[in-house]
Amino acid sequence: MILTKNIKMADVIHMNYHTLSVLNRFGIVLGFGDKTIEETCKEKNVDVNFFLEILNAFIDKDYFPKKHLQTFSVGLITEYLSKTHAFYHQVKVPEIESLINEMVDSCYTQKDTLILLKRFFNDYKQELLNHTQREEEVVYPYTLSIEKAFNQEKIDTSIIELMETYSIDIFKTEHDDIEEKLYDLKNIIIKYLPQPKDVRLCNRLIQELFILEQDLNDHSRIEDKVLVPKIREMEKMIHQRFAKY
Amino acid sequence: MRATSFILYSPSYIIRKGLISIIDKMHDAHITNQADSFEEIPELIETKETDFLLLDTNILKSTNLFKEIKNKYGKNQLIAISNSSNNQNLSDFAEIINLTDSQAEILKKLNQLSGNKNKLDTAPNIPDEISKREADILKEIALGYSNKEIADKLFISVHTVVTHRKNITRKLGIKTAPGLTIYAIINKIIDINDTEAN
Repeated sequence: MILTKNIKMADVIHMNYHTLSVLNRFGIVLGFGDKTIEETCKEKNVDVNFFLEILNAFIDKDYFPKKHLQTFSVGLITEYLSKTHAFYHQVKVPEIESLINEMVDSCYTQKDTLILLKRFFNDYKQELLNHTQREEEVVYPYTLSIEKAFNQEKIDTSIIELMETYSIDIFKTEHDDIEEKLYDLKNIIIKYLPQPKDVRLCNRLIQELFILEQDLNDHSRIEDKVLVPKIREMEKMIHQRFAKY
Repeated sequence: MRATSFILYSPSYIIRKGLISIIDKMHDAHITNQADSFEEIPELIETKETDFLLLDTNILKSTNLFKEIKNKYGKNQLIAISNSSNNQNLSDFAEIINLTDSQAEILKKLNQLSGNKNKLDTAPNIPDEISKREADILKEIALGYSNKEIADKLFISVHTVVTHRKNITRKLGIKTAPGLTIYAIINKIIDINDTEAN
């Protein structure tokens, strides 16, 4: 089902509770009463059209209105992307970490293996952190400068100089595959890890890893199919306009 | 048997969605990527290793793009999605799916192609466990050696090491060196203390 603005917020959660994490990124929290999506967004000062598209794309992996998503401002898009970064670092990663720690603490027969697993996840965490830091410190500011220059009447030479040192296609090539280690971790647990007595922890861990992976996929899809093409187009137009002077 | 992968191109959402739901019914087959416009196709065929391309016949309108596709993929990997009964100029495709085909017909066509592919796979009968030689290579990877170092140590070429590595990754479903190290320790191919020393 595709959500529209007159649907009640509470029904969204009934339909798919995984959307809660997306809602939180927009500053929307539980306790909606009978308010609709539109009313809630208004109250929280959230762009309802953007909110709906992000939410619909998150729920249905076949629904991806990339052309419409590209019409939203770079500021709006990168703000959302930064919020998902914060969600990984402040919520998901600590959750997974504490599950692994609990597994290590509650196991006596194969502590060594679990400590390895823990170390593996630590490395992954560092990798993820480097990845998201690079985006926030280099890539997103760059895209914002491009948008700003694009919206100005006169093209400043400084932006041309900036574009000579960096471009969105450089980002595209350096954008490494952050999902590989996560994939390994899942397979090691699903296929090879001797199961501890208490299987509940392992089950929960696998669930969390799947949720994180899905969220990362959703996130990189927005980068690759919305942000990158949008900026590439702007870069092209800026070059063209500059050449005319 | 390895999973069969498809890339799907059609400008029509309804057609894409329909084919996805049919392919979901196949055993061990999935669509790795889909495109709704010409511009998206070059990137998809560049980065992904895919068994089959399912292409709307309007792809023939872009002669250059179709030439590029034919350079990268063999005829036996191309499947046409056609909405006309006139299929005369589709000789470049191994199979044609007509929009009027029933689900059973489409599944039969796709399963047949997928089955042929598996017959052609180089190592159809090797069990999913790794061979003795692969275990030797895995041990060296787990100990932290590079492809070059492993090649020198075992008197084989770097190319051979890379091939073994690919096979190990495919069989185990583990891509990274640290991941392989954990597998090696769990399965006692190396001892945990060996890695500490490195």
